Amino acid sequence: MCSRITVRVRPRLFQRLEASRDPGERREIQAESGRLSRRTAGDRMDDLGENTTVFSTLRSFNNFLSEGSDTIPRTSEPDSVSRMLQLQYEQRIQAEEQADYVRSHSRILEVEWEKQKMEVSHKRARIELEKAAQNSSWNYEREADRNQELITQVKQLREKEADVETKLKDQIDVNKSLKEDLGLQSKKLQEKEEKLAEANQMIDVLKAKISEQQQQQMGQEMQLTTLRTERQELHEQVEVQHKKWQEAVQKIQTLEAAQVVNAENEQKLKELENKMTQQEQDSVIVKNMRSDLGRIPELEKELRQLKEKNAYCREVEDNNSLLKEELESLRKKLERLEKLKEEKVALELENEKLLAKLQSWENVEQTSGLNIRSPEDLSREIVLLQQRELLLKQQNSSVTTSARMLEKTRQQLQDDALNLRTQLLSEQKKREQQEANARRMEKRNILLIKARDGMKSILDSYDNELASNYSPQLNRRVREAEDMVHALHTHISELEHQLSQALEDVGNHKLKAQTLEAELSVLQKQVAVADQGITIEEGNELRQKIEELEAERSHLDKANKVLEMKLERYTLQGDYDPTKTKVLHLSMNPCSLAKEHHITEQKSLKEECVHLRERVRILEEGIVPEQLGSRTNLPPSQEIAEMRKQVNSAELKNQRLKEVFQKKIQEFRAVCYTLTGYKIDVTTENQYKLSSMYAEHQDDCLMFKVRA
Amino acid sequence: MAGKVAAREGITLKGSASIVSEFFNYGINSILYQRGIYPPESFTRVQKYGLTMLVTTDPILNNYLKNVVGQLKDWLCNHFVQRLVVVINSIETNEVLERWQFDIECDKTMTDNSQPREKSEKAIQDEIRSVIRQITATVTFLPLLDTALYTDKDLEVPEKWEESGPQFINNSEEVRLRSFTTTIHKVNSMVAYKKIDSF
Repeated sequence: MCSRITVRVRPRLFQRLEASRDPGERREIQAESGRLSRRTAGDRMDDLGENTTVFSTLRSFNNFLSEGSDTIPRTSEPDSVSRMLQLQYEQRIQAEEQADYVRSHSRILEVEWEKQKMEVSHKRARIELEKAAQNSSWNYEREADRNQELITQVKQLREKEADVETKLKDQIDVNKSLKEDLGLQSKKLQEKEEKLAEANQMIDVLKAKISEQQQQQMGQEMQLTTLRTERQELHEQVEVQHKKWQEAVQKIQTLEAAQVVNAENEQKLKELENKMTQQEQDSVIVKNMRSDLGRIPELEKELRQLKEKNAYCREVEDNNSLLKEELESLRKKLERLEKLKEEKVALELENEKLLAKLQSWENVEQTSGLNIRSPEDLSREIVLLQQRELLLKQQNSSVTTSARMLEKTRQQLQDDALNLRTQLLSEQKKREQQEANARRMEKRNILLIKARDGMKSILDSYDNELASNYSPQLNRRVREAEDMVHALHTHISELEHQLSQALEDVGNHKLKAQTLEAELSVLQKQVAVADQGITIEEGNELRQKIEELEAERSHLDKANKVLEMKLERYTLQGDYDPTKTKVLHLSMNPCSLAKEHHITEQKSLKEECVHLRERVRILEEGIVPEQLGSRTNLPPSQEIAEMRKQVNSAELKNQRLKEVFQKKIQEFRAVCYTLTGYKIDVTTENQYKLSSMYAEHQDDCLMFKVRA
Repeated sequence: MAGKVAAREGITLKGSASIVSEFFNYGINSILYQRGIYPPESFTRVQKYGLTMLVTTDPILNNYLKNVVGQLKDWLCNHFVQRLVVVINSIETNEVLERWQFDIECDKTMTDNSQPREKSEKAIQDEIRSVIRQITATVTFLPLLDTALYTDKDLEVPEKWEESGPQFINNSEEVRLRSFTTTIHKVNSMVAYKKIDSF
């Protein structure tokens, strides 16, 4: 705003200015303009820029006026009137130019003020526009939001519409399907109705049939009754036939009985014939026997002779056997005697040998120098020797045990010696280490003494030189040094003590080692002495014995195990020691009861079996049980009565049927003869005779034969 | 029951004999049931040793068992019995099909007046229970007995009663079962059955 210059000058003021050349008026105008300017400043707060320009233009104007006023009084000469007029004219032109300039300037200022106003208004308009724009933008946004909402609503509605459409379609489809189903069902219903109609028709038809059949049934019932009466007639015929059949059967039975009797008679005949033949044979034999009998006395004589011979032979045999026995006994004796001889010879040889031995034994006395004159002495000597041997063996065993003990001790001692040597070496090492330590300690001691001396000299020097201010510190240092020295002394004394102890231990160990070595040497000497007693051979023998014993032991173990297994097996199988145990059971035990039961059952079953077999046989023969009641011993049972009734009824039926058949056949043949005039008779199998009523002769006929 | 157990702290000779004879009663009943010697419907259930035992209701058999077991108890007190054998044999062929053998080892130093031995009733019952279970389990491997069978009980006793034979099986397989002990009597069980001929 300040940059824009707007001038507002009242044109009237300016004209007045022009018009008035009076300085007073000018001053008044100036005052007015000042007042105006003040008024303008008071009226418009915004136009500060304007006021400044107004003031500047006013100043310039005032200056001009003052110049004018100044210039005006100076030119008062006539000559100069023209010049004055000219000057005035020029001044006026300049004033007019300046007035034009001012006017234009003021116009410019006005325009600029108006422009500013316009701009302000423009700004306001723009501001308002912007506000309006904002509002419109807000409105637009709101509208946009609303739009979007509406769009979403629209979409939802469209979706709903789509869903609804789909549902509609589905419903339509369902409707269609339902309509189809309805159609189908209606068709089915129609078909069913048709079927029902057909069925009704069928029912009517069937009812008609039923009525027809009922009528047929009535007719058949009538037929049935007629047939039943016929059947009864036939039954009666059957009964008659049955009676005839029974008579026939009886006749057959009598015939059979007669046949049986016949057969028996024939058998008897045969037997008798056999007997006859046998008797004839016997008679032949008898004849032969008679001839033989004639020879009997001769045979008797021979018999007696033979008996005598027999007795003689037996005696001879006995004698023979006796003699044989004697022979055998003699042979045995011979053998024994020969053996005895040989033995005697052998014994004599032995005797000689023994004598020789005895002599040698007797000589032993002379050779050995002992007091032996008889074998008892020898035996005594032997016993003594054996005792000595036993003693020696005991000593030997004791010596061996002691030797073993000594060996063990020797081993132990060797081990101890080894241990001691190692200990010795370790002790030596320790001693050396300690000696080295001691040397180091001594060196340190020397060093410390030197240091102490040095410190002492330093201290003395300090004492001599310095003031008393440092003495406490020095004293402290001195005390510390002295303490250190004391400590070192004690340490050294301890080390020396340890050293001395180590040296003593070493000395002791050396003494021990020496003593042990001495003992070792002594024992070695003893062992060397003892070792001579035991030889290697005895050791081998002992080892062999041990091996044998171990083998035997294993053998015995195996045998033991085998026996234990066997024992186990036998106990499992139920073995027991018969001498110590007995086996008992209760006599009334279920087993025996069951066995008895079993046996009784078997017996009863067998009896029943036999009984039933008899009954079956009797029934198979077919004789009426009432007639043979005594043979069967059975009461008539219901089943048999029923069977009999059935048989009777069947027989009656048969008879009646036969009678009816015969009657019918006869009727039929009579009817055929009367109706046709021809009669057919059966003469034999497959041959038929045809005779006519109207034949010339009674016997005229035609014969026919049926081919098989 | 707790009071009863507390009272019977020690096992006397008579107590041991009664325990063993009771075991034989129930054991023989279970053998008869398991091997199908009597029809299963003739057995009824009782609770013993913590198991459901089946004992017969047949009066003749019951009477017989009572006799045997009573006599056994007597003999056990007097250290007479060495062995009880239950023999199953076939009626028709009269041969032995199976043999259940119970060896009894008796402590001879024990008499009626000696101090009772320390063994808990429960431990003995557990042992007996395991033996009974094993007897039941033997059914799985023993061959089927499908002929008419009856039982017989032999007692090997060093004294006279009614003597019989030892009733061995000729071609037998033996199986040793568990044993139980009351510290006075020890019972070893085993079963011997006829070997099945394989084709």
